[in-house]
Amino acid sequence: MSTKHSVAAGRFLKGDRAVWHDETLWMVRAKRDAMSHSLPEWEQLRDAAAAIKNYSNSHLADLLEEFERNATAAGVHVHWASDAEEFCATVADILEAHGAKHLVKSKSMLAEECGLTPYLEARGIEAAETDLGERILQLMHQRPSHIVLPAIHLRKEEIGDLFRREGMHVDPGNNDQTYLTHAARRDWRHKFLEADAAMTGCNFAVAETGECVVCTNEGNAEMGTSQPKLQITAFGLEKVVPDRRSLGVFTRLLARSATGQPVTTYTAHYRKPRPGGELHFIIVDNGRTDILASPDHVKMLNCLRCGACMNTCPVYRRSGGHSYTYFIPGPVGINLGMLKDPARYSDNVSACSLCHSCQDVCPAKIDLAEQIYKWRQVLDGYGVASAAKKHLSQALEWVIDHPHLFGAAVRNAHLVNSLPHWLMYNRLNEWGKEHDMMHFPHESFSEMWKRGKVMPARTNKENDGEKD
Amino acid sequence: MEKKTDSREAILARIRRNTQRVYERPDLSALEQAAIHYDDRVEQFRKVMHQMGGRAVLVQPGDDLNELIRQQYPDARRVASALDRVEVCGREQALTCPTFHPDSVACSRDLDGTDLAIVRGSWGVCENGAVWIAADVEQRAVYFIAEALAIVLDRNCLVDNMHEAYRRIDTGAYGFGVFISGPSKTADIEQALVFGAHGAADVTVFLV
Repeated sequence: MSTKHSVAAGRFLKGDRAVWHDETLWMVRAKRDAMSHSLPEWEQLRDAAAAIKNYSNSHLADLLEEFERNATAAGVHVHWASDAEEFCATVADILEAHGAKHLVKSKSMLAEECGLTPYLEARGIEAAETDLGERILQLMHQRPSHIVLPAIHLRKEEIGDLFRREGMHVDPGNNDQTYLTHAARRDWRHKFLEADAAMTGCNFAVAETGECVVCTNEGNAEMGTSQPKLQITAFGLEKVVPDRRSLGVFTRLLARSATGQPVTTYTAHYRKPRPGGELHFIIVDNGRTDILASPDHVKMLNCLRCGACMNTCPVYRRSGGHSYTYFIPGPVGINLGMLKDPARYSDNVSACSLCHSCQDVCPAKIDLAEQIYKWRQVLDGYGVASAAKKHLSQALEWVIDHPHLFGAAVRNAHLVNSLPHWLMYNRLNEWGKEHDMMHFPHESFSEMWKRGKVMPARTNKENDGEKD
Repeated sequence: MEKKTDSREAILARIRRNTQRVYERPDLSALEQAAIHYDDRVEQFRKVMHQMGGRAVLVQPGDDLNELIRQQYPDARRVASALDRVEVCGREQALTCPTFHPDSVACSRDLDGTDLAIVRGSWGVCENGAVWIAADVEQRAVYFIAEALAIVLDRNCLVDNMHEAYRRIDTGAYGFGVFISGPSKTADIEQALVFGAHGAADVTVFLV
């Protein structure tokens, strides 16, 4: 049984972008490594980030109340939304109360998660993306393939053609990246100037000050929120952190982990509405409080949405973001999809080699691979485990339970090597699909051990995994 | 608006009901003490500004800041600034090169077409080139909409890292502040780094 992910990945690999995609994301991973190696205290920073998130995610009620109190005192309107529907309705109500028809928005995974843009369009409100990559995808009617590098799957020629189709001032045949970026800067400036309202996501909501912190490289969120006087900033409730002191830790980790930069170009702090304007903060649950109740998966709430786990993932790099069925791809998306709807998004669970690289780079030390492993153990309960693999596993279990049979099987396994191809690669052998079968050695480990051919290796020092 | 109150209470109740293991608040002081520091902050700041795609200029005693700014931005015609006097190496200078005050415009969009904005930075961070700017004008668009940004920063206000910076910054009367590290940038087209996405395409920090 092939998963939707493996079928889509097969298509991606046949395309001409696969090698470029893999190499480019690996380059981003290498930049991240250079950044982490430049700070002797890097591992201490990751420990601190995980510890702050563990603290804040186990004190959410108190921190959110403190945040609300401080934001309200500064003149901000604070709203609470239980689910996607209530979130979208809250945004639309605020906009309609001001007669706002044109919204400029900066990239927000929360808005994507809740389907905000189609909701607003259905109510006659334009929601224009302003991040370059997001805007390109919006005009192409595509979804992002990466949470930080949304248009990583596109070629500059496709983008140049799009700009010309859109009637932008772009010369035929000129697809230079700098030229196209500056054309977008020029041609889209009026979107900011003519907007009635601006909307942003939020990287950190600070309880101590009641302020929202937004990080961008392009300056699109900052440009948007400094034109119209109506601003809406929304965040999932796990974005709350205790104080500015915590931001010292997170701002040092975020961009270094995401793109290998020392910091994002802009780290904006929104605390009060502009003179004569309004500032609205929306705190959204949409399933997050359910995650709190799951001891195996509660650490998913530590996520900073940096995308480091995608850049390093050998499966993500070679299959592309659109191969996953959940809107967030890669290791983080596999897990968040399962938490959202396990029956619907289980196709992604096999898109993992359990190499654990994701959790080695995660700045908040989420045990991403271990959680994927746990999901695999319960797949059967959702009725989505492969029946053929299940039967083979049961047969294997029976063999392993009978030592003589197992010994005989291992001794004779090498005979399989000389079986004809058609007998090994057919629909009955699930493990022969999409990859080559292993080559069985002539001598088993147990035989080598008995003959003294194996020397005990020195035990490696246990790595510094989290102990809790 | 009764529904909103209901959601608030319902969310808080779900949080309290579903929270399982409770963790202690971590002590960050050991990390903050171990955090990276630099013997020559000015040199490190210049290096990192270059790396971030901007530049830092060390103003010497006797230099005319207006002259330095004009040399850097000879074509700037519309120059916005709320500053009229700047202390340069212990001596006050009048800032004469700005052509208008950002709050003199009728609305934010009138700032479009600003060639250069000259603004005051409060703290500079040596590990990443970020400069803290607490809004001191009503039209905060001026920090983002100008083609180029000149930040005036006291060289004695350089700190080593973000831990140090967050101990010192505040958002000020307008309730808005921003760390800016170099020019606006993007790599959204094939991962090619391009300066000047939406914000200032060129940033110079004048260390006075």
